[in-house]
Amino acid sequence: MPGLNANEYDAVIIGAGIGGLVCGCYLAKAGMKVLIAEQHFKPGGYCTSFKRGKFTFDAAAHSFGGYRKDGIVRKVFRDLGLDMLLNIKRYDPSDIIMSPDYKISFRSDVAETIKDFISAFPLESDNIEKFFHFLNNPSPISFARMRNWTFRQLLDHYFLDNKLKTILAFPLLGNGGLPPSLMSAFTGSKIFTEFLLDGGYYPEGGMQALPIALVGRFKELGGELRLSCLVKQIVVRDGKVAGVHFENNDFISSRYVVSNCDAMQTFSDLLGSEVVSKEILNEIETMSPSLSMFVLYLGVDNNTFQSLHQPGTNLWILNSYDIEQIYSKINKGHFDEIDDFMMRISPDNQTILAFVNAPFKSRAYWTSKKGKLTEIFIKGIMRNVLPDLTKHLIFRDAATPYTLYRYTLNYKGAAYGWSGIPSQSSFSRYRCPSFINGLYLTGHWITQVQGIPGVIYIGYDTAKMISRK
Amino acid sequence: MPDSVEKEIVSIIAEVSGFDEEEIKPDANFFDDLEIDSIKAIEITVAIEKKFKISVRDEDVPLITTVKHAVELVNTLLEQKAANARA
Repeated sequence: MPGLNANEYDAVIIGAGIGGLVCGCYLAKAGMKVLIAEQHFKPGGYCTSFKRGKFTFDAAAHSFGGYRKDGIVRKVFRDLGLDMLLNIKRYDPSDIIMSPDYKISFRSDVAETIKDFISAFPLESDNIEKFFHFLNNPSPISFARMRNWTFRQLLDHYFLDNKLKTILAFPLLGNGGLPPSLMSAFTGSKIFTEFLLDGGYYPEGGMQALPIALVGRFKELGGELRLSCLVKQIVVRDGKVAGVHFENNDFISSRYVVSNCDAMQTFSDLLGSEVVSKEILNEIETMSPSLSMFVLYLGVDNNTFQSLHQPGTNLWILNSYDIEQIYSKINKGHFDEIDDFMMRISPDNQTILAFVNAPFKSRAYWTSKKGKLTEIFIKGIMRNVLPDLTKHLIFRDAATPYTLYRYTLNYKGAAYGWSGIPSQSSFSRYRCPSFINGLYLTGHWITQVQGIPGVIYIGYDTAKMISRK
Repeated sequence: MPDSVEKEIVSIIAEVSGFDEEEIKPDANFFDDLEIDSIKAIEITVAIEKKFKISVRDEDVPLITTVKHAVELVNTLLEQKAANARA
């Protein structure tokens, strides 16, 4: 790049999560000299896969949404030419919710999904139509009006039947870590539309295919990615970012710094109290991160699943209609039995990924609990879905909230950034903090959006904001 | 006071939208001209409430569509707040 020395960049991005990679691609495409520094040896953040013997497992993200014709992921992949590189399949149904009385399928054709709900809850048929119409035709104003609403208020606004409300809320607990009484109506609606009504997409080769494709494109556009490269300080001079210091004390100068790591780390550690006021640090200290996850990885012998529903579908097992109690138990880490969870048989029929949300605790705590919880979880799957599972099990392992923290350094192993409660929505004013010129935050710690569509939106939008300068 | 209200609102819109303050004209429509979407509409509403320590009623939210309208709304709410404080 003309005019810049080897250690000078237009933009340094801290973290090669999907948000950081998307942001990096757009900035590089705009002609900037961009460096992405990732502490892990693999790009992708929570969107990675790993191998154990002959089995390939997705680490956390196990499918994605927002890929309909006008969806944000489709738009970004088209802009970056990734739609031609990736072979993306949509599983239909994307999700099935099984409760003691109902089996509801989320189909690619939303009209079919609505039909399924109406046949299960005929007395709520008008309300179901209205609810889906609202979600499919949102106006920007409607969510601003509901900015203080919880998802529970939104559900109560439309429905009377508690079983129906629980079925609608359960996948949101799994995908957002909150019960409807705490989750903001906006976050809940976003998860519902992007994960469920437009969910179930999966790239050939596993979830790691997404970061691999993004990294390939980023490099083609002239970007530089450094793996196993931990940033220890964002350097600020006269109210403006000057660059970053790495762990080995190397300094890189940069006009813009984009932090794709968590907000707590960004403000407390990478910037610190010399740059960030006590009031802001105190405010961040009082904020609560989302729950983490306990993820089970199982490898099985051939032909185990032939009689079951098709692989690639997210199967939500719900045994209790008291969702607040389900949340209360997982929030405290009370896992005597696991009967409410999500599981997915991989498209290659060889592995199962299953998860429950779980609280962050110390390494010692999770080391002591991991084995027992793995067994409890396997029993839960046998009780509810696959009675013969242990006969076919070849491999078992699990990731605890501490594992999620260790690999990604997300504050408290949070699975979805800050907890999506209405009172924390104002945090997004720190996306480009007015007191530090040239600093931007991107990724799932920034707004009320979550998951792959959310971070792709934020990565794209952050690049757009920088490119306008 | 009205001038500073406008300045503050333009600054909020600039921060949320990424457009420079000079580009944000009083009559520019947030949604059509400044690419404000659902997330940013929430951010703007919450930021205005926080900045001016006011509470925007749900039915008044649709008024926050241009800088001019937002300034009018905030001024009205600030006047009501002052009147309530005097009462």
